[in-house]
Amino acid sequence: MISKFVGSGLSRRTFLKSSAVTALSAGLPGSVFAAGDTIKIGFLAPLTGAVAAWGKPGLDGCEIWAERVNAAGGIKLADGMHKVEFVSYDNEYDPAKARTGATKLIREDGVSFIMMLGGDTWPGVQPVADKTGMLFSTLLPSDLSPDTNTLIAPAEVHPIYNVTGVEWLAENRPELKTAVMCAQDDALGLPSVATYLAAFEAAGIEMLDEPLLFDPATTDFAPVVTRLISKNPDIVCLDTCYSDYVHPIAEQLFQQGFKGQIISCTADFYDQMIAKTSEEFMEGFIFQFPDFDDPALNADNINFSDPNGFYAEFNKRHPGQWGAVSWEYASIMDLWKAAAEKAGSADPDAVTAAMKDGGKGAHAFGDADWWGTELFGIDNALVGDWPVVAIEGGKARIKDFRSIPDWYAKHGDLLIKHMKAYDQMWDQRS
Amino acid sequence: MLELLAQTGLNAVYAASYISLVAVGLVLIFGVMGVVNFAHGELFMAGAYAIVALYADMHVPFFVAVAIGLVFVGCLGLLMEKALFRPLKDNPLGGLVASIGFLMILQALAVMGFGVRMEHIPPVTQEVIAFSDKVRLPVARLYVIVAALVLLSALWYFLKKTKFGWALRASAQDPEAAALQGISITQTAKIAMFIGAGLAGIAGALTAPLVSVNPHMGHSVIVTAFIVIIVGGVGSLEGAIVASVAYAIVHTFVTTFYDGVLADIVGLCLMLIVLIVKPTGLFGSADRA
Repeated sequence: MISKFVGSGLSRRTFLKSSAVTALSAGLPGSVFAAGDTIKIGFLAPLTGAVAAWGKPGLDGCEIWAERVNAAGGIKLADGMHKVEFVSYDNEYDPAKARTGATKLIREDGVSFIMMLGGDTWPGVQPVADKTGMLFSTLLPSDLSPDTNTLIAPAEVHPIYNVTGVEWLAENRPELKTAVMCAQDDALGLPSVATYLAAFEAAGIEMLDEPLLFDPATTDFAPVVTRLISKNPDIVCLDTCYSDYVHPIAEQLFQQGFKGQIISCTADFYDQMIAKTSEEFMEGFIFQFPDFDDPALNADNINFSDPNGFYAEFNKRHPGQWGAVSWEYASIMDLWKAAAEKAGSADPDAVTAAMKDGGKGAHAFGDADWWGTELFGIDNALVGDWPVVAIEGGKARIKDFRSIPDWYAKHGDLLIKHMKAYDQMWDQRS
Repeated sequence: MLELLAQTGLNAVYAASYISLVAVGLVLIFGVMGVVNFAHGELFMAGAYAIVALYADMHVPFFVAVAIGLVFVGCLGLLMEKALFRPLKDNPLGGLVASIGFLMILQALAVMGFGVRMEHIPPVTQEVIAFSDKVRLPVARLYVIVAALVLLSALWYFLKKTKFGWALRASAQDPEAAALQGISITQTAKIAMFIGAGLAGIAGALTAPLVSVNPHMGHSVIVTAFIVIIVGGVGSLEGAIVASVAYAIVHTFVTTFYDGVLADIVGLCLMLIVLIVKPTGLFGSADRA
């Protein structure tokens, strides 16, 4: 192969030299800046395809975040102020494309940090992370393992926060005694199934049936819904279904006459669901992701800067596009910026050390702990309070903030039991 | 249990309806053109996006939008015939490769025109025919069932009772002999492409308010259609309809009584069993296999 390059005019010495430089730059990603250089942040998530709703709105949110930070002067490192810029790569929720994207972002774009959705794409990226030492973030702590200490989950503790919705429901609707659940059979759906099973068991809510798993390629959800409601459950749980599934499932529940409680991890674009069903049908729908115009987010303990203004700006630029992840990647950047400024450097090791200093961090929903050894084999998930959201009068409203560590302290054994049953513990995942 | 069986039966009838529309279109194109049209799922997608543009965005009445969608996707079929399949008719793999390229172009156009997110389409109607508390048929689904019955009956009449239909069948059975009889192979190819693409288009248009419309929605449809035409017998319209019904019943009942992942496996096993027992498919003949 080398001889082919040599034959085409590239000398062996030049080839080896450039290879060494490439390898070195891959090993020391984005660690050295001249004052005033722009810091590049990689955004490696699905921007197209069925999972795009958990990528593209996040990038849109990051652009707003970058404009705000740059307008305020940028990020202050030891050598001065630096502007920040996002470099995106659409991995289409495909592991191979994610791996290519990670390599490209590190080697060609010289990014200092890469944010991912994670899930099915993480196994493709993990070898790149291990080889380069680049700091990656995921929205899915179920990607965490002690094999990679440069992967952090600083925003979303999916699926563990789902326990808060069930806990709140059990306390506020004690008449609900039975539940059923459906989920797509993938890396997002299965750990969430285990979590909901633990939460229902902890709450004393009986599962009437095994969770109904469906192929992610499913388009007609009538058979799924027919099965779900055939046993007259009080609660139908939609697990962490993608919005492409939540909408048609909710519509089918409406059309097939279900009148009980629905709980779901997400309800992205819930206004469209209301349009397809009715305001009455969607009343009380429980999920986990607030609109950021919620008055409850103006409390002192909230660490996300100007949530109402961010929400207004997002909706002005992208009307109707607000979703679960619109704020999450931006909140990760808040944490990264604070750590980089504390370390005075964008070097991944220095940023990680500063970020985890003292074992605590400023999560968007309040101060939180770096946590996770029992579940993930490593304390790289930032876990604290999480909101429980209900649709009331056609609008999402935060009903309460619940502590995930408090729930885990009481019911952690149940979570581990169900995670093990679904082969979702860090030492069971291949 | 009876109510569960009845509701599952209704679900299966709906599934069989839209699958058969897509599969019959695919078989028609293969039968007359001899081309495996990999872009058929994207023609289904184009029909769905016609509803997004006309019904959801421009507020054209739904059934007018469906009719326009049928014609629009039929014209896409004509474009494919003229620009792709006719120039490559002597190249056995040319049409297949060209259809894959066209598939990507249609997906890219959908992304450029509408974005990557699923599209919101207001419900056509929220009316439901309630046979009992547990047995309900949404009227929007009934539209798909009725349309499939009407269109497939009309296609049967067209193929069996009209001169154009005879010409089409003759071209499919033996193009050279048909040409010697004065039948224009080019004309029959155009008719087959228009009808085949139009059937996929109307299936996409009618189901658009019931599914998630996105640029990649054609993928699962084409996989199902391929399973169906292999089970039914490649090139057999009757086989495509029978296999659509069989596949829909098996898939729907297995999903309801076991789970959706197992249903996919059972669907593929059904195809394998048919291929082992009767390699030409249920209604296929050896010269087409």
